[in-house]
Amino acid sequence: MNSKYIVSPGDSILVTGSSGFIGAKVVQVLLALGFTRIRCLVRASSQLSRLQAVLTKFDLRKNVELVTGDLLSRRDCHKAVKGVSLIYHLAAGMEKSFAGTFMNSALGTRNLLDAFLEFGLPKRVVNVSSFAVYSNLKLKRGALLDETCPLEDAPQERFDAYAFGKLKQEEMVKEYGRHHGVPYVILRPGYVFGPDKQALSGRVGINTFGFFVQVSGSNALPMTFVENCAEAIVLAGLRPGIEGEVFNIVDDELLNGRQFLRAYNRVKPFRSVHVPYSLAYTMCFLWERYSKWSKNQLPPAFNRRRCAADWKPMRYSNQKLRERLDWKPRVPLDEAMAAYLAQFESTGNDDALKG
Amino acid sequence: MLKIAIVGCGKIADQHVHAIHRIPNCKLQAVCDRELRMAKQLGERFGVGQCFSELGEMLQTTRPDVVHITTPPQSHLSLARQCLEFGSHVYLEKPFTVTAREAESLVQLAANRNLCITAGHNLQFTLEMLEMRRLMKEGFVGGKPIHLESYFSYDLGDTTYVAALLGDRDHWVRQLPGQLLHNVISHGIAKLAEFLDDDLVEITASAHQSEQLRSLGAEEILDELRVLIRDRTGTTAFFCFSTQIKPGLNQLRICGPANSIVVDHVSGSLIRNENRSYKSYLTYFIPPVKSAREHLTNARINVTNFLRRRLYQDFGMKELIERLYNSIRTGGEPPIPYREIMLTARIMDEIFAQIYPERATAVQGPITQERVTV
Repeated sequence: MNSKYIVSPGDSILVTGSSGFIGAKVVQVLLALGFTRIRCLVRASSQLSRLQAVLTKFDLRKNVELVTGDLLSRRDCHKAVKGVSLIYHLAAGMEKSFAGTFMNSALGTRNLLDAFLEFGLPKRVVNVSSFAVYSNLKLKRGALLDETCPLEDAPQERFDAYAFGKLKQEEMVKEYGRHHGVPYVILRPGYVFGPDKQALSGRVGINTFGFFVQVSGSNALPMTFVENCAEAIVLAGLRPGIEGEVFNIVDDELLNGRQFLRAYNRVKPFRSVHVPYSLAYTMCFLWERYSKWSKNQLPPAFNRRRCAADWKPMRYSNQKLRERLDWKPRVPLDEAMAAYLAQFESTGNDDALKG
Repeated sequence: MLKIAIVGCGKIADQHVHAIHRIPNCKLQAVCDRELRMAKQLGERFGVGQCFSELGEMLQTTRPDVVHITTPPQSHLSLARQCLEFGSHVYLEKPFTVTAREAESLVQLAANRNLCITAGHNLQFTLEMLEMRRLMKEGFVGGKPIHLESYFSYDLGDTTYVAALLGDRDHWVRQLPGQLLHNVISHGIAKLAEFLDDDLVEITASAHQSEQLRSLGAEEILDELRVLIRDRTGTTAFFCFSTQIKPGLNQLRICGPANSIVVDHVSGSLIRNENRSYKSYLTYFIPPVKSAREHLTNARINVTNFLRRRLYQDFGMKELIERLYNSIRTGGEPPIPYREIMLTARIMDEIFAQIYPERATAVQGPITQERVTV
C-alpha cells in the first residue's frame, strides 16, 4: 500500500456500476491493492456474475459490501455513500432516449453528489466518462485528440443519447466541484475491450442493413484493455494533487480498425464491407440533409458529427495519464488481444456483432 | 398562432416536440417538469427558452393555448384539471387517467369550460387507420361490425424499459392498478371502443404471467391478457395483449355483415376481405392471388407515402395533435369523441377489477351518454 495515496485501507470506498464490465475490474484492482472497505452499488436488476467472479478470487468477501439501490432514489444514494470517502462513479445511463440517459447519468450523479456532501466524508469523486464527449468534427484528419480537444456542443445533431448523458454527467460533476467544493477527477476511456465483452465497438464497424460495415479501417482505435483501464481509474482516485483534472485513457500500443477486425476474423470469420472514410462522410452528410428536409422522417442516425467521432483517423496520447498518475499499461497489446479473442473460441456465438 | 406548452419532460416529450414542429401556425414556447433540470435539458435541445418546474407559474407566465401532459398517469387528473381551470386546452398522454371516474370528471370539466381535451391514442390516426375509417364511412363492411379483434404485442426483449420497472417496486408503472398492462393496453382497447356501444353487457378478462417474465423475477406483473366483450347490440370484441406472440401483432380486425377489414400497424397496411365465393377449386386459387394483390397495393401505397414524406414514425401522433389544434381553432368536434375516451377507461377499469381484484377500483355500472353531458 502506497502511503502517498489520499485514502488509506481503512477508508470506505464506493464503486457505482460495480457489476459492469469495467466496474468489476475496478473492484478487483482495489482488492488487489489491499483496500478492505469496499461498497458496491448494484441495481436490483443487475447481473452480478462479473462481480461475483472477482469476489471469488479474493478471500475478502466480508470486506466487500453489496448495496442494492438506484441512483435516482435519494434514499438509496444516502445508503450508498454513508461514511464513504472516495467514490468511483462508473454507473451510466445506457438508454436510447436523451431524456432517459440524462435522468440516469446526470440526475443520478446529482443525487449521488448531494448525498456525498451530506452523508459522506468527501475526499474525491472519480467520474468515469467517455471519449464520446469529444467532438473532432472541426479537427483535421490525423490531429491529436487529447484532453484539450473541444467537447461536443451539439449532441442533438449528433443524435447520440449516450454522449449527451456523459456530457451532462461531466457538467454536473464540474458544477459540484465549482460550487460545492467536491474534489473530482474525470476520466475518459477510449474503446475498452477485454474478455467478457463481446460486442464490437462502433469504432470498429457497424452491423447495419444486413451486413457489417467497416468505415476507413486505417483509423487508429483508442483502445485500452479493461485491466489497464481499471488500474488507471483506481489510480485516479488515489494519487494526490490531481483534483479537477481530466485524463484520457488509451494504451500505448494501438491497432487500427482493419488490424483489429483482421485479428477478430481469425477466430470469428464473417463478411464485412469496407467503406472509405470520405465516402462514409458524404453519405452521412446526405442522410443528415434528408433527415432535416423530411423533418425527421429518417432520424439523423447517420450524421457528420457521429461519423467523425467514430471513424475520422486521429492520433491519441496517454502522456498526461502517464506523467500525472504514474500509470503505464501493464498488459501489453498482444496479451490483451489474446485474452480478448480467447472468449470467442469457447463460445462461438454471434453476440459480438450486436454492437 | 397557437401557444403550446409541455408538462413532463421525460422520454415521450421528444416525440411531442417533433410532432409539434411539423404543424404550422403553432409554437412550442414552454416546457415544465417538477425536476427543473429535466425541463432545461429538453429546452436546451429544442431551443425552448422558457423552462419551469411549477405548472402554475408556467400557465401564468406563458398563458399557453394548449398543454401537452406527458407525465405518469397518476398525475394526469390534477395537472389536466389545473390546465382546464386555467383555460388551456389539453392533450393528455395515454393512459388518459388511472380510473374511469377520473376520466369522466376531466371530460365534464372540459365540456363545462368549452375547452378541448383529448387522449394520446395516436395509433388511432395512422395512415392505415385513416384509410380504415374512409372504408367504414363508405359502408365497406356493410353496417355495424359483428365482431372486432384487437391484438397488441409488447416485446420484453427490450429490457431497458422492463429492467427499470422490474427492479423498482416503487416505479410508477408498478403503482398503477393494472401495472404494465395499465400503461400499454389503452391503444388496443381504444380501437374497440370506437365501434362498441356504450352499454356493455359482458366483459370477461383473463390474465397470467409469462414464463419469460417469471424468469426475470417479476412478482405480480401479468403480461398475457385476453378479454372478451359484448355490447347491448350484440357486437362482440376480443382483445389480446401478449409479450410472447411471435411475430408481434399490432392489429385490428373488423368483421362486418358484408365484408371485413384487417388493419396492421406493424406493416402499415390494410387488407380488405370481400365476401366472394368461388366455385370448386377456384376458392384455393383466386383468393390467394387477390390477397397478394392487396399486399402489393399496400406496398405501393407505403412507398408512395414514404416518397411524399407522409409515411414516418409518429405520423399518428402528428395527425392527432393537428386535429386537436384544428378543432380548437374552428370550434369543431374533438379528434377523439369523449364517448370513446370514457368507454376505453371504463373497459380498462373492469379488466383490472377482474385480473387484479385486490388492486383495482372498478366503476359501478355502465357509463352512458346520460351520465356525462357534453
